[in-house]
Parts: sequence; C-alpha cells; structure tokens
Amino acid sequence: MSEATAAAAFVRRRPPARVRRRRLVSVVANHCILIAVAIAFLAPFAFITLTALMTNSQALSSNFWPHPFRFQNFVDVFSKAPLWRWTLNTMLYSGLATLGVLVSSVPVAYALARLRWRGRNLAFMVVLVALMLPPQVTVVPLYVMWAKFQPFGFNFIGTLWPVIIPNWFGDAFSIFLLRQFFLTIPEDYIDAARVDGCGEVRILATVVTRLAKPALAAVALFSFLFTFNDFFLPLLYTGTSPHNWVLSIGLSQFRSFHQVQWNLTMAATLLVMAPVIVLFFLAQRAFVEGVTLTGVKG
Amino acid sequence: MSPAPANEAGALAAPASPALTRARARRQADWRRRRLVLLFMSPWIVGFSVFFGYPLVMSAYLSFNHYDLLSPPRWVGLANYRYMFHADPQFWTSVKNTVFWMVGIAVPLQVLFAFGIATMVARVKSGAGFFRTIFYLPALAPPVAATLGFVYILNPATGPVNTLLGHLGISGPLWFQDPHWSKPSLISLGLWGIGNTMVIFLAAVLDVPQHLYESAELDGAGPLQQLRWVTLPTISPVILFAVVLGVIQGLQYFTQAYVAAGVAAGQASQAADVTSVNLGYPLDSTLFYPVLLYEHGFSEFQMGYASALAMLLLAVSFAVTLVIVLNSRKWVHQAVPR
Amino acid sequence: MRRIAAAVALIGALMLVAAAVAGGAHRSSPTKLTIWVGWSAGHELTSFKALAAEYDKAHPEITLKVVGGVDDNKIVAAIRSGTAPDVVSSFNSYNVGNYCGSGGWIDLTSLLKKDNIDPSIFPPAPRYYTQYGGKRCALPLLADDYGLYYNKAMFKAAGITHPPRTIAELTADAKKLTVRNKDGSIKVAGIDPIIGFYENVPERWITSYGGKWTDAKGHAILGKDPAWAKWATWQKGLVDWYGYKKLIRFQAGLGDEFSASQAFEAGKLAMNLDGEWRVAFIAHEHPSLQYGTAPMAVDNAHPELYGSGYINGTIIGIPRGGKHLDQSWALVKYLTTNNHFLAQFSNLIRNVPTTKASLTSAEIKPDVHFSTFLKIFGNPKSSTSPIMASGVAYTNLVQNFFTKWQAGGVKNLVAGLNKLDSQLDAQVAQAKGGGVP
Repeated sequence: MSEATAAAAFVRRRPPARVRRRRLVSVVANHCILIAVAIAFLAPFAFITLTALMTNSQALSSNFWPHPFRFQNFVDVFSKAPLWRWTLNTMLYSGLATLGVLVSSVPVAYALARLRWRGRNLAFMVVLVALMLPPQVTVVPLYVMWAKFQPFGFNFIGTLWPVIIPNWFGDAFSIFLLRQFFLTIPEDYIDAARVDGCGEVRILATVVTRLAKPALAAVALFSFLFTFNDFFLPLLYTGTSPHNWVLSIGLSQFRSFHQVQWNLTMAATLLVMAPVIVLFFLAQRAFVEGVTLTGVKG
Repeated sequence: MSPAPANEAGALAAPASPALTRARARRQADWRRRRLVLLFMSPWIVGFSVFFGYPLVMSAYLSFNHYDLLSPPRWVGLANYRYMFHADPQFWTSVKNTVFWMVGIAVPLQVLFAFGIATMVARVKSGAGFFRTIFYLPALAPPVAATLGFVYILNPATGPVNTLLGHLGISGPLWFQDPHWSKPSLISLGLWGIGNTMVIFLAAVLDVPQHLYESAELDGAGPLQQLRWVTLPTISPVILFAVVLGVIQGLQYFTQAYVAAGVAAGQASQAADVTSVNLGYPLDSTLFYPVLLYEHGFSEFQMGYASALAMLLLAVSFAVTLVIVLNSRKWVHQAVPR
Repeated sequence: MRRIAAAVALIGALMLVAAAVAGGAHRSSPTKLTIWVGWSAGHELTSFKALAAEYDKAHPEITLKVVGGVDDNKIVAAIRSGTAPDVVSSFNSYNVGNYCGSGGWIDLTSLLKKDNIDPSIFPPAPRYYTQYGGKRCALPLLADDYGLYYNKAMFKAAGITHPPRTIAELTADAKKLTVRNKDGSIKVAGIDPIIGFYENVPERWITSYGGKWTDAKGHAILGKDPAWAKWATWQKGLVDWYGYKKLIRFQAGLGDEFSASQAFEAGKLAMNLDGEWRVAFIAHEHPSLQYGTAPMAVDNAHPELYGSGYINGTIIGIPRGGKHLDQSWALVKYLTTNNHFLAQFSNLIRNVPTTKASLTSAEIKPDVHFSTFLKIFGNPKSSTSPIMASGVAYTNLVQNFFTKWQAGGVKNLVAGLNKLDSQLDAQVAQAKGGGVP
C-alpha cells in the first residue's frame, strides 16, 4: 500500500524543466493554431456583414470597409423581394414537418426498441436502408405521383404539401435516433409498468413525457434545422411558383429579382442566417446535447 | 399463479382445461401484441410503402421507358442505359466528380479536419466552450446562404480574399470561376461547416478515460502513439459514424453545387438565375451526379432517363451501405474493457 | 339527434342551391384569362402590362392577368401538372421542338385556317422557329436580332472612323481599344470574346461565318462545315491574346447583364455583341451614352454576309388543357397579328415586330440605333438556329463544347467537333425516345 502511495507521489513530482518547456510550447502552439483557425472561421461572417452594410458600387469594388454604413440595406431587402412571404412559407413547412416527425416517429421508434416482435430487426434494417439512400433515387416517381394525384382538382405541384406530408409518416433519421434513445431506458422500469397493468400506449405516453424530453428536443431541433435548410425538395415542387418559395429558394434566386445587387444579397443572406444563430444561442445546451446524442448513440 | 388478464375482451370461454385456457390466453395476448405493434408501426408502414417502396419500384419501371410527363410512358428497353453509359457526354464526368471528389476526397478531408480540430480543442483547459461555439456557428448557416456568401467572398476580381492576397503580393486563383479551383472552393465551404462532426468528435475525445492515457504514458508512449493506440481505437465508432454520414451526404450532394454554379455563372452570363447551361459551371467541374439527375429529369423532358440515373445511384448507395454495415464490426474497436 | 341531422342536411342543401345560383350568376361575369410572359426587367414588363390593359378594356367579357418573369422550366412544370395558364409565352424558341412534338402547346394550324391567317405574313425566320414536325404550335411575338454596339467616344479617342465590317477589322479594333491596368489586368476590353458572357453564344457568332448546323437529313455537321473551325480558331486566338484567366477575372467584376451597370453601358466594353432591346435599355438608363449600332462584322472570306445577323424571338402559344380556347385564341391572334399592337409594343421595348406589315409600319418610331436592327431582320441572309427534338439541350451541348475549347480543354478541334456531331445526333435520338442510334 505504502509502495503505491510512494509511487503516486513519485509520479506527481514536477517533471524536469525540459519536459515542462516542451509541454508549454505544445500548449502555445495548440492555442495559436486554434486561434488562427477560429479567425478563418469567423472571417466569412465578418465579410458578409461588412458587405451587407455597403452601397452597391462599393460591393462591386474591392473595398473592405463600408463608407458610410448603410443599415438601410436591411430594410431595402424586404421591399426588393417578398422576404416576409418566404419566411412565412418556411415557418409553415418547418413547423408542420417537425410536428409530424415527432408525432409519427415516436411510436415507431418505441415499437422498434421496446416491443418484442418477430421481424423487428428486419424492420430496423429497413429503416437504416431508408436512411442511407439518397432522396434522388425516389424523386422522379414521387413527382409524377404528386402531379397525377389531384383530388377535387387540387394541384399539389407548386405547393409545399408534397414536402410536408411525408414527414407525418415517420422520418428515418428521427426513428433511428429515438430508437437508440429508447434502448437506453432500463428494461425493468418498463417491465414494472407492464406488471402494474399499464397498456403499452400508456407506457409510451409516460416514457415520452417523463424520460424522453432531451431526445425529443434533439429530434425537434434537427428536424427544424433540416427543414429550414432544405433546398432540393422545395426546389422540385415549388421552384416554379414564387409565392410558395421558402427562404432557401428565395435567397438563391434573390439576385434575379429586379437585378438586385450584391450588397442587398449579402444583407438577405445575413437575415436568413440570423434566426438559426439566435436560436442556437438561446438553446445552446439543447443543441450540443442533441448533436452529441446523435454521435454517441449513432 | 398468473391472474387472468384484467383487460381481456370477451367472456371467458368455458375452461376445457387449464392448459388450453393458458394457450388461448397466450394466443390472444399474441394477437393483441401484434395489433399494438401494427398500430405503433403504422405511420412508418404507410410512409415507407407510399413514399419509398412504391417510388422505388416505379423508378425501376420508368427507367426502361421514355417518359416526359406530357405523353404516356413509352417502353424503350435498355435504350436509356445504353445512352447513359455510352453516349451521355456528361455522365462519366458526374460520376467521377461525385465518387472521387465528394466521397474520395471531401469525406476523408472533412473527417480528418473535424477530428484534428476536436483534439486540439480537447487539449484546451479554459475557453474550450468559446472555441467550440466559434467552430460550430458556421454549421448553422443555411447551405444556400453559406454558398452565396462564399461565392461573393471568393469573387476573383473584387472579393475580399483575393484583395487580401493581392496586398500580400499573391495573385489569387479564380476560385469558383476556374474549373481547377471550383471543387477546392466547394470543399473549403464544406470544411467551414464542419461544426456538427467536430462537436461529436469533441465529446467522444473528451470521453476517453484518462487512465488509459496515463497507463500508456507509463508504458513510454509519446503523444502521437497515445493518439494512435488510445484515442483512435476508443473513438472508432464515432469515426465510423462520421465517415458514414459523409458518404451519405456525398452521394446526395446537390444544393451547394447547384447554387454555386448558378451564382458564379450568373455573374457574367445571359441570365442571372440558374439555367440548364450553367449547371456544373465552370466546365462541368461542379457537375455532381445528383445535379445531373436533376438536370435531365426536371430541366429537360427526360424522366425515363433520370429514372435510369436514379437506379444506378440506388445500386451504388446500396453497395456502399452494404460494405459499411458488413464491415463495421471489423473496423470498429469494441468497447474497451474497464 | 335525427332532427339535428335533418336540419344539417337541409342547410347543406340550401347552401348547395345558393352556390349553384351564385355560380350561375357568375357565368355572366368576365372570364379570367391568365397569360404568362418572360419579360421581367423594368420597363419591359410594365410596357406589356400597359398594352395588355388596353386589350382588357376593349374586351369587357374577359379580365386579363399578366404574370411576368416566367421561364421555360415553369412552363413545362405547369403543363405537366395541369396547372398551365391560358396563354404562355417564352423567350426560348429552341424549345418549340419539345412543345410541338409532345403536344404541350396545342397545334394552331386549324385555328389559323379558320380565321384565314396565312403564315406567310410572318417573315421566314419567325415562321421557322414557331413550328416543328408539321405542327405550328406557336406564333412569334416580337423578335430579337443581334448586332454590334460600339462606343463612339472610345472609337474617336482611338482614331477609328467606322465600325468594323470584317473580322480582321474587328480584331484590330478590339486590340487597339483595350486598356490595361498597371498590373496587366484588363481595365477596358475592346470586346469580350468569351463564350457564355452576356449574349456571346455560338449561334450568334456563327452567322458571321455562314456556318450551317445540320445537313438535309438533320444530322449535325459542325465538324464537316469548315466555318465552325474557322470561327473557333479566331475566337480562341482573340481569347488567348487577352489571356483567358485575365478575361475571366475581368468578367467577374462586371455588372449584371440586365442591370444599369451592364458592362457596355458602364463603359467597360468598347464593343459588344448584343440584341436590339439594348437600345431601349440604354435610352432608359444611360441616355447620354455616345454609341452606335451596326451589323456584326463578318468573315473576310464572306463579305456578302455583311448586314445579316442572328434572329430568334419570343414565341407564344396555348398550352394543353386550357379551358378558354376561344378567348385564348382571340388574345393570341391579337398579340401576334394586330399590327398596331405590334408596332406600339416594339416602340416601347424596342424589339423587332414580327409581321411583314408591322415591320414597315409608319407607327414605328424612327430611331437611328434601332433601325440597324430592323435592317438586319429584313436581310435575307439572316438566320436562326435549328429546332431539334432535344430543344435547348442541343444548343447547350454545343455551348459546353466551345466553353471547353476556349479554356484550352480540346486538343484537336476538328476531331472534337466530329465527336460533338455524333453526341448531338445521339442526344436527338434519345430525346425522340429511340436511344442511341
């Protein structure tokens, strides 16, 4: 025993100066590199912001600093293009899709994690496969399907519904995530509830409301982010109907609106980035926990 | 003695024998369970069939047809596939771009970069949260917004980057206007948004038990060897996850390439919005497979051909997925025994 | 419970009746016609809307809604999903092959015959690019042709007395007019020869060399017709004189083509190949610019081509599935054959009117710059590009080849052109649905 403590005490003594110096150099180098990379990461934001405050002619020249600062640009952006309309569309899409994902993925994930049935593993494999296949694989027939399906003469093409509706029937990524999470809920907890005579539905409800909040928050966050940033699917279905554009489509087309200039384009870019970044600062812990959840449980 | 289930529907049949009753009860319990599973799984069952299974089958069918949505599909056999492999001037370019550049270079580069940054941040004692926030922020930028920003910043004539390089006496490259620099520009855009993967790596690296490092150091391992024999094996599941994610994204890569090509070309071309001649600008260097698919299916009138392209994409994705899933056990070091 | 059900049924029935009555009453209110047009930039769309409003007023039985900024993707998507408007118009005459072939735009031949309209009232080029495969599914609605814009002030300063008539003169003038910065980058370019820049596309330049696209059977002959190789060699020679990378860098700093900082209007280009509409843009945005217009310079070996140019134009048609055929046809007929309307619209947006009568109409406001383009349009040697089953993909493939060529990516020009020919033919066959021939 005393030997171990003696050994520990030996290890804890100050290492020789040479080693200390080497460690200091490595720490300083580490910091320097990190700071350099951090500056490189922040630089684009700085450039975009500065350009957003310039006049058009300045934006077309190689000036760095706006002369004068034109905050008016942020207001002009709204008059040049229907930014409010796009924001509304985006909120509609993201909101409804996220809600649908939550509602539909939870029972599926639970069934895959906590109910025992034949074919469960196969079903999970199917979910994994669906997760990995690119959307381009199914995109053509889906478009045809929505184009031909016109109940009461209502046309789905040109609206956001073809993008929203599938989210109400389960989303592979969310199912995967939730299933991994549900697997971590102790078996005995659920067994106890079963013995008490709770129906599975009731168990699910209790588990969801009491235990799964961080996972649900992560799923909601990712779903919201994904739909907020979604470009390909909205492009397909609403690309030719400007009044239904979401922010990502509108922003990409911004420069063709009445020949708008780069300074306004950058201002619009900043405005589109802003909500997500604000959301991040408000819900930082949820973000990081969520991201970690995907990686660790994945 | 198991009590009769309280919520059993229907009257208790006349007990022929305790064994039969139990068997019937078990069957009824089974049936209840199956109904429950069906209920819980129903959204996915419907969703999968309608939005996945059926389109997959239809995609296969359409790939043998000539279909432009204006007239009914016309059977052409293997004509689409023959055109694809032999006569489409852009097909092989897009395959090369997607496989070699997106999957072969961008993915390893991104994983390495994320891992590198994560290990460096992990070594910082105070201010790690500050660094983590800075590195994560760009990942939040919507892809379209980030792409627009980058195309502007990397404008060869008036963009800040080339202006700065000019002050340093370097003549900056043409970035998105140069076919040799457009992919590196896209990759740098991808590296900028590495925040998600980096945070995951950071959490994993921080999770490595300290005593493993200590015992390695006692064994005489230097920092590099510790990295190789302690860190990497322990976080190998996370590395696999990042690679898988990267490959999936690489096979679907569309938005940044599409927007960058359109905006960069529109800076001095016939129309300021994306027209089909600008896809892959400049010189097909940003023509990735999903972009080609979009162009043929939704810019031209070629839905049968686009389905053929989709079938190939399906085959490749499936093969890649299979390889990864089958080998994951071999590559991932199982949990270190404590 | 039953009483409530009965009450609900009665109210429902009453509502149905009311709706039917209201619907019936609405039958006498004006039919809503929607027309999609491609114009979007500033004065162009407002001019069309103003004239359309006149038609609207003169026809109280319809109300006309104009939607601008529509491109071919939108039109195709709308026809596919059955949401197409009553009348559509497109800038891309290239796609007539697709529209006629697939029946996306209906065949107007019977309607023309019914109203005794002879297609020969349209000049030959517009007549060509509004039909395909024996079906006339479109009519021309103002045309575009292309010529040379040159900055008179810069010409005077450089001592050039007249616009170039031959390619050799054009090259010499361009080199003389180019101004470079101290670091060698381009400050003012005599002309920007890069394919893909503004209106520089192969079809608009090849008319200066008299190049042909297809033979009598419809096979591509870009490799066989020496004009293409001759033009391409000249073009690359000029690009290399400037320096390809320097030109790209120069272009990256120029303004958008349809903005007020367009390079020619902003004095960054001494000469530019552009369409006749630029006259109106300059009048609106830079009225003090000292410039002149002339036909584009032609190959030294073909001086007889001077005065001709490339023609294409806006086409208009009725998409399949439209509900108000009679009113739509009346509108299309008015927009394409009413010489008064054509002359007025031409005056407003300075496009070329597309009936022989309106070309020589007294209502055309004389303008020295614009008259150049009227002459080019009337020149019998002016030509347009072929209408193929693959639509705009055909010309895109050609353009792609030449963008590779100008960057130095093609080692053997003639071999490359021959390969391009076979690719074009394969593409047409694929578009027709037969696969590789």
